[in-house]
Amino acid sequence: MSSTVVAWCVFFSSASVGDIDFFEKKIRPVLVEHCYSCHSPEGKIRGGLRVDSRAALLEGGETRAAIVPGDPAKSLLLEALRSVGDLKMPPKQKLPDAVIADFERWIKQGAVDPRTPVAAKGKEKSKSPTVEEGRGFWAFQPVKRPEVPKAHWAKNDLDAFILAQLEKKKLKPAPDAEPRVLIRRLYFDLIGLPPTPEEIDAFEKAAAKNQEEAIEAVVDRLLASPRFGERMGRRWLDVARYAESLTLRGFVLKEAWRYRDYVIDTFNKDVPLDRFVREQLAGDLMSADNPADRRQQIVATGFLAMGNNNLEEQDRKQLQMDLIDEQLDTLGKAFLGQTISCARCHDHKFDPIPTRDYYALAGILQNVRTLTPEGNLNKWIEVPIPSMTGNDEEIRKHEQAIAKLQAEIDSVKALLAKATARSADPKKPRVVSADSLVGIVVDDSQAMKVGEWKHSTFSGFYVGSGYSHDDAKGQGEKTLTFQPKLPESGMYEVRFAYSPGGNRATEVEITVFSEDGETTVKVNEQQPPTIDGLFVSLGQFQFDKGGQSHVVVSNANAKGHVIADAVVYIPVEKLKAGGVAKADKKTPEAKTTEPKSATKGDTGLKSLEAAMKKLQTSGPRREVALSFHEEKKMANARIHIRGSIKNLGDEVPRGFLQVATRGAAPKIPADQSGRKQLADWMTAPENPLTARVMVNRLWLWTFGEGLVRTPDNFGVTGERPTHPALLDYLTTRFVEDGWSAKKLIRTMVLSRTYRQASANPTVATADPENRLWGRMSRRRLDAESIRDAILAVSGQLKLDTAGPSFTNVSADYNYVHKDTCRSVYIPVFRNALPDLFEAFDFADPSMTVGKRNASTVSPQALFMMNNPFVLEQSKFAAKRMLAEKRDDAERIANAYRQTLGRTPSDAERRIALEYLAEAGNQPALREEAWSRFVQTLFASIEFRFVN
Amino acid sequence: MTHSMTRRDALKTAGCGFGWLAAAAMAAQRSSAANPLASRAPHFPAKAKRVIFLFMQGGVSHVDSFDRKPLLDRENGKSMNFDDPRVLAQTGRRGSNQRLMKALWNFRQYGESGRWVSDLFPEIAKHSDDLCSIHSLHTEGVAHGPATLFLHCGSTNFIRPSVGSWVLYGLGSENENLPGFVSLAPSTGNGGPRNYGNAFLPAVFQGTSVGKVGAAADAAGIRDLRNPAPVAAQRRQLDLLQAMNAEQLKQASGDPEFEAVINSYELAWRMQRNAPDILDLAGETAETLRLYGIGNAATDRFGRQCLIARRMCEAGVRYIQVNHGDNSANPVWDQHSNMPKHEELAQSVDRPIAALLADLKRRGLLEDTLVWWGSEFGRTPYSQGNGTGRDHNPGGFTMWLAGAGVKPGFSYGATDDFGFQAVENKVHMHDMHATLLHLMGLDHEKLTYRYAGRDFRLTDVHGHVVREILA
Repeated sequence: MSSTVVAWCVFFSSASVGDIDFFEKKIRPVLVEHCYSCHSPEGKIRGGLRVDSRAALLEGGETRAAIVPGDPAKSLLLEALRSVGDLKMPPKQKLPDAVIADFERWIKQGAVDPRTPVAAKGKEKSKSPTVEEGRGFWAFQPVKRPEVPKAHWAKNDLDAFILAQLEKKKLKPAPDAEPRVLIRRLYFDLIGLPPTPEEIDAFEKAAAKNQEEAIEAVVDRLLASPRFGERMGRRWLDVARYAESLTLRGFVLKEAWRYRDYVIDTFNKDVPLDRFVREQLAGDLMSADNPADRRQQIVATGFLAMGNNNLEEQDRKQLQMDLIDEQLDTLGKAFLGQTISCARCHDHKFDPIPTRDYYALAGILQNVRTLTPEGNLNKWIEVPIPSMTGNDEEIRKHEQAIAKLQAEIDSVKALLAKATARSADPKKPRVVSADSLVGIVVDDSQAMKVGEWKHSTFSGFYVGSGYSHDDAKGQGEKTLTFQPKLPESGMYEVRFAYSPGGNRATEVEITVFSEDGETTVKVNEQQPPTIDGLFVSLGQFQFDKGGQSHVVVSNANAKGHVIADAVVYIPVEKLKAGGVAKADKKTPEAKTTEPKSATKGDTGLKSLEAAMKKLQTSGPRREVALSFHEEKKMANARIHIRGSIKNLGDEVPRGFLQVATRGAAPKIPADQSGRKQLADWMTAPENPLTARVMVNRLWLWTFGEGLVRTPDNFGVTGERPTHPALLDYLTTRFVEDGWSAKKLIRTMVLSRTYRQASANPTVATADPENRLWGRMSRRRLDAESIRDAILAVSGQLKLDTAGPSFTNVSADYNYVHKDTCRSVYIPVFRNALPDLFEAFDFADPSMTVGKRNASTVSPQALFMMNNPFVLEQSKFAAKRMLAEKRDDAERIANAYRQTLGRTPSDAERRIALEYLAEAGNQPALREEAWSRFVQTLFASIEFRFVN
Repeated sequence: MTHSMTRRDALKTAGCGFGWLAAAAMAAQRSSAANPLASRAPHFPAKAKRVIFLFMQGGVSHVDSFDRKPLLDRENGKSMNFDDPRVLAQTGRRGSNQRLMKALWNFRQYGESGRWVSDLFPEIAKHSDDLCSIHSLHTEGVAHGPATLFLHCGSTNFIRPSVGSWVLYGLGSENENLPGFVSLAPSTGNGGPRNYGNAFLPAVFQGTSVGKVGAAADAAGIRDLRNPAPVAAQRRQLDLLQAMNAEQLKQASGDPEFEAVINSYELAWRMQRNAPDILDLAGETAETLRLYGIGNAATDRFGRQCLIARRMCEAGVRYIQVNHGDNSANPVWDQHSNMPKHEELAQSVDRPIAALLADLKRRGLLEDTLVWWGSEFGRTPYSQGNGTGRDHNPGGFTMWLAGAGVKPGFSYGATDDFGFQAVENKVHMHDMHATLLHLMGLDHEKLTYRYAGRDFRLTDVHGHVVREILA
């Protein structure tokens, strides 16, 4: 206490009473009224800043000191009050200038402030856990192989762990499921399709002889089926937020399917999953044994480029950091089960992930360019992949040939333009009527004018009734807006007509507003127009009907007269079709004034262009994949304070999550991005997370729930493993087995645990959530299985349809899904998912979904009752069933076996017979009744669940 | 849309112990009929029971409609430096030279409140004494996509639940035979379904789109509601289904999840029988149809939507969004090159909106319904590139509210003398969201949902309730 008094006495002695008076009258009341509610213990403490004492102001908030006594220019407080930068305080309303002047004076005079610092009320905010504290958490502990408990019931080691925990609770596992139940379960879990009645029969017979052998035989057959990769691959696609379009503007990702097929292949070929992880992060940086591997490795990197990003964000730095955040969020959840992106703005509140770690990782991804600017937009990046036919050399030669020919064409065009210009006879008026031109013509007379534009016909060579000029006056004040009425959406070439001359402006700014954004072209009006001496091309642009499509000619920054005659929009198909290279030939003037040399040159040009067309369509084409480029110069990231791109803190060396790093982390050389090292770190044997997270996913895909029930969150806010020893046991085996998904899944489905019936009343009461696995969980059939099973029963299912999932789609809006391929091959359009997917909890393709929702809602019922797909497929199925030579009772039994995998009870048979009998014998009515009956089976509860 | 929350869902919600619904879900769970759409009490008593949001897609120019700026008229054509938001975002450059463009329509004063409204909206203007106008909105996102998502979901880029989903999550629905959150004729562009999406909230809180842009909003607009078979045949089929289900349920010894499926079919059937009536305007009087401008080419489409909104409001739909937009990247109100086009657009919405206000009022519905009008941003007071249109302006614009809980004939906040940036009593879109929730009886800081280890809210870590506009 006394020391404080001494300190304050010293302070008072150096401050004049006038200064204190000034503070009390002019400064303190303002701070109390406008600032305390957010920046003092009386209210919140936003941005870490307190303004209730001089010490607090000197310390500042998260950014830097709020005041520098004596130096208003360096005082952040003043900057905020003046609202000159991004920080504007108070946020609701700027203070009057006089008040701001008071603050300036106060700071200049040393910021005298007699207030006593007060301790914050209440308890301190809970601190984020440190990395060292965090290491004790289970998920960051090294994986250790536990002892296998002894157990009588077990088929394999997995069961021993399950039984041990059940017995601890004095519970007994469920009896084995009946063979017909087991085979339906195995089929849906491993390949996502129902077994046929014949397959059920065969299995039941085999199982009666030797159950073990029968089960093993089915399991091995299903694991070897190409349908296995389709089933498991789709589960990973949920995690990878796989999609083939972007929400904004519905842009389609034409090459995304390659990633999907790569994932399916990975599971079918049982590629080690550590390699799978590495390829998705840094496949482009890995060495490859052959072109096929190289292709796959590049395709795999599409993982990082698949985000549903906001291509319209105008602030590209913001966009880049948002994009990196999306990538970190995805790879963190997918591979590590960590919610890394929580550490973007502050240290993770619950997990030991400091903001430094976030920016260490962000630094790695900052060296990757996933988007490229295009006008007001940004576009994703597609990169060439090696050809499978080994004709890379041929392709290279072909591309060189095209480039060479293009150069030739360009030079001939330039010559032609000069010739045309020379030939223009200034004395002879040549009026080109708008009607004679191909394309949509907007004459200067139709343009909307700002400022004074003069009409002229002086040059004698123009479109329509003349042209406009700005009289070289009022620079920057005049514009002409050419607004066309475009009949349809598409690519157009935009051409601009002007009459050239020596007094013209050399840099006329012309801006084209299209779907590609704004593009400003500078036209030198002293040079003769290159097309027919009348037009220059402003480029080719995408326009949407109803979208922006105008051209603005401005006289800003122009030195000389600005002339504008007309703007023409020519659909590019018409350009390709020929005959539009210049003004319509029917115009006699144009024809007569064409000099011979030009005609000659023109013929030459035509043949060159024809050759080009041939060359472009005939030659070998290079395939491309959705991916990214590495930046040329590698760099570290700087911490973004509170996540703001405008508030940069320290630079952080590239690196990884400290808490999950045991021993030395891989070193990142200055000239490398660090992605390869990230992949190494991720799949290193010491990493406690990656293998565990993957094993948990495989368990979840097989059993319906994970051993950790929050598969994307192995952090403090996630769930703890129900069987930590089992998780570690399986993880060590998985790693020993070379990260083989098939081996692990085989172990799981051959276990006794998996084989249990789903009914076990005593366990169900004691363990309603089935965390002990004393029975098999009854699960809803997922969207894909519902659809594929319906198509399998109706006989319409097409198999083996890998490859591009769509053609001729430029935007995904209102896409109609008509394919009867397996669901995994339906294009995943973010704006146009099939109704069935939306109703039945398909994973949101914009975010990592380790576990889908499982809902029972009435739109699902409406779908089953009324959706045209269900009605149509039911009809196909009914036709098939009626064509079989059986009586109705047998048909009903078979329909039950096809849809539910079992024969009906007597009561069920009777109900069905009664319903069908009411339709009578007329074939059309019978078919209708049968089709409703089959539809009803599809809608029934059992069809929608796996026991 | 009805729903039966599964036991697993309920336990998941309850188990985390953070979502405010947890306790409610537990209680409902005990009463065995856990329906997440069941009507719930708000955090505190509130007048507003439901919301109608009239979304003018593309950006209505505030200086041409509700924000009168005499100085802008006087200084018309003058060149000045502005921190153009697009230039700023793209280049970081402040102070680009722009030419002021005066309002293209005359302003007049209306009602006892004497509010100024331009000739763009003469019919809405007559309701000035009911409107609570906020002239100091500002938001995030310079382009349509980001700003539209921000308006609907409170984020320019991240996948977040929309306002309607949050409201439905907080309050449930008043009518289980109808969807609780409806978007009438939504655009597929600029975020499309994300603008009425539930994101990580349970799917039951998703908005239901009725109709599409450019098509009439009628019964065909609700998915899977129609069946070609006669009603009797459908009912017989449903009876067959439930008989089959009953047999299956016996074999599964009364699994509650199976029971949920059985219930969902009955609820679906009721919805199928009831929902089309809401969209059928045949029972409306000729006077009402005329009031909304139905039958008049310019106003027919939007008039129908507004009338359907009123009918849904009566039926207890919690959150109704009426869209005036299209699917293009430059939506209808986006006049970059041709400002006068605003007039044609205004004509198609002015009368229907005025009719909706009048109709709600005379039926007493304005007492407990909140009407919200606006765009994703405003437009610049200067012409774009010195042309004949205006560019986007997220820095200052006007939105208005009417009805339950807000001061009528009231005006709040202001932009600068030219209408460029909000300067007085600024209201950020986060504040708007906080205020909307408050008007519905929900505390925006308490309406949270735990997802991926974090408690999310509509307003993220921002937002202040604008108490000054509360009645």
